[in-house]
Amino acid sequence: MAALLTVEELTKYFSGLAALDRVSFAIGEGQIVGLIGPNGAGKTTLFSIIAGSEPPTSGKITFEGRDFTRVKPFHAVHEGIARTHQIAKPFRSMTVRENVEVGLRFGRGSGTRNMGKEAMDILELVGIPSLAEMSAATLPVGDLKRLELARTLAARPRLLLCDEVCAGLTESEMQSILGLLRRIQSLGTTIIYVEHNMRAILSTCHHVIVLNFGKKLAEGPPEKMQNDPAVIEAYIGKKTAA
Amino acid sequence: MSGVAPSSGIGSRVVRALPPLVLLGVLAVLPLFNLGANQVKVLFLTFTWITASVGWNILGGFTGQVSFGFAVFYGLGAYTTAVAINHGVSPYVTYPLAAGVAAAASLVVGMPTFRLRGPYFAIATIGVSEAVRIIMTNLEFTGGSSGYRITEPVPFRQAEHYYTALALAAIAVGISMVVRHSRFGLGLRAVRDDQEAAADSGVNPYTFKLAAHALAAALTGAAGGVFARYAAFIDPDGVFGFPRSVGILLMPVIGGVNTIWGPVIGGGVYGVIEEELTARFPQVHLLLYGVLVMLIILFEPGGVMGLLARLRRRMVALRRAAQWRHS
Repeated sequence: MAALLTVEELTKYFSGLAALDRVSFAIGEGQIVGLIGPNGAGKTTLFSIIAGSEPPTSGKITFEGRDFTRVKPFHAVHEGIARTHQIAKPFRSMTVRENVEVGLRFGRGSGTRNMGKEAMDILELVGIPSLAEMSAATLPVGDLKRLELARTLAARPRLLLCDEVCAGLTESEMQSILGLLRRIQSLGTTIIYVEHNMRAILSTCHHVIVLNFGKKLAEGPPEKMQNDPAVIEAYIGKKTAA
Repeated sequence: MSGVAPSSGIGSRVVRALPPLVLLGVLAVLPLFNLGANQVKVLFLTFTWITASVGWNILGGFTGQVSFGFAVFYGLGAYTTAVAINHGVSPYVTYPLAAGVAAAASLVVGMPTFRLRGPYFAIATIGVSEAVRIIMTNLEFTGGSSGYRITEPVPFRQAEHYYTALALAAIAVGISMVVRHSRFGLGLRAVRDDQEAAADSGVNPYTFKLAAHALAAALTGAAGGVFARYAAFIDPDGVFGFPRSVGILLMPVIGGVNTIWGPVIGGGVYGVIEEELTARFPQVHLLLYGVLVMLIILFEPGGVMGLLARLRRRMVALRRAAQWRHS
């Protein structure tokens, strides 16, 4: 199976500090891939570079066989890579529905006929159809996360980059978002999913990539990663011989 | 709580289009009622102000990019029309020309500055507008600081100028409405709200800002052209001066930025009081505007439109309270 996304030797320096250090991996179409690692491991930086918000220092990104290394974020969206932000960024002057319409009209499938209906379908999918005419500025965190996801989905991504969509949510909210991710994947979208919660990863992902201090520490099936000594060490620390 | 119904549909659209059309009709027949030449002049000037105000709002309001340099486009439009008329070009051909020159200039200003984040664009507009004024002050073929005179082989007809300015203002408002409800307008709003999120949703903030700037400049340039033909004499300090830039920015702020009718109301207010204020307080009239802007920003950032919305909310609340008492 040809990879949908290939990352080769990706490196990013922030004034001398390596946020990413020669990270390489490949992602097959139709998977949900978990991206885990302690704070500062480089997960969000990796997302920003894949989505085109920031250029890498060196390395190469290939999407569907084409070079995407220094693509602009709006081009990435047009070609099918869309991201959510860790801290939701709604368009505050707009209603929830209008936010989704931005994704619909400027995303990959821009120019649909029945904008209102499609926006409602997506709001239905993420579970906030009743908020359609609410101002986005008035939403609580949980709903903002759903809106962020809705707007990103409206762009019809082939590769969805989800940055901690469950952070700060309650257990039941988290379960419904995870169910949603599985549903999105079953509809044919590949997902890379940044998450701290191991249970969320285990229940949702097919494959896990572990980052630590900007380097790829390990990758493999989630159950295996959970018991990998190097991964445990990165998260919890080393056993000292006492 | 009752849900707020989205106001769409043919019926409500007709109802909403009615007041502006009535206003346009009244303004169209107004000169027939023996207005004095001075009153017609004030209305003429008001229409050119409204055009520039509506133009500025497309960039400053819809897109959220504040410019202190719209005198550049007004002045370039004025000089383009003036020079072209003197070279035998029909006045009505010079207005699109004026708009085109202004739009081209907007790209020169916008291309380097819109790549920057933060207040750099606003700061750059001040510098550019002063630079252009000084260049025009020293440009010999337009007479430098002594100004430039337009000579037309046809007699002056005030009514013609009046209707030209009215038509231009109506076109500006029409464009503003179309933009507001278009895909382009939605992209501008996205850029205004959050540039990064806009880019992540597929909007190219840079080209959207450039396009909004060009459209705004084109309208302002056309307004400058229409003004120049009426005035028949223009000079760099007048059409390129900083007070002109401030005036163009002030009108949408008075009326309410980022709305359709705010810039129109602001232009109307400014057009009517400007002459009077300049005549009575020639030294301090800019100071009065400064005070006005501070009051607006402190107490009603939404301008006249914000004030109206607040009054309407209060009325609704009062009516609800009355109903509740009766039931």
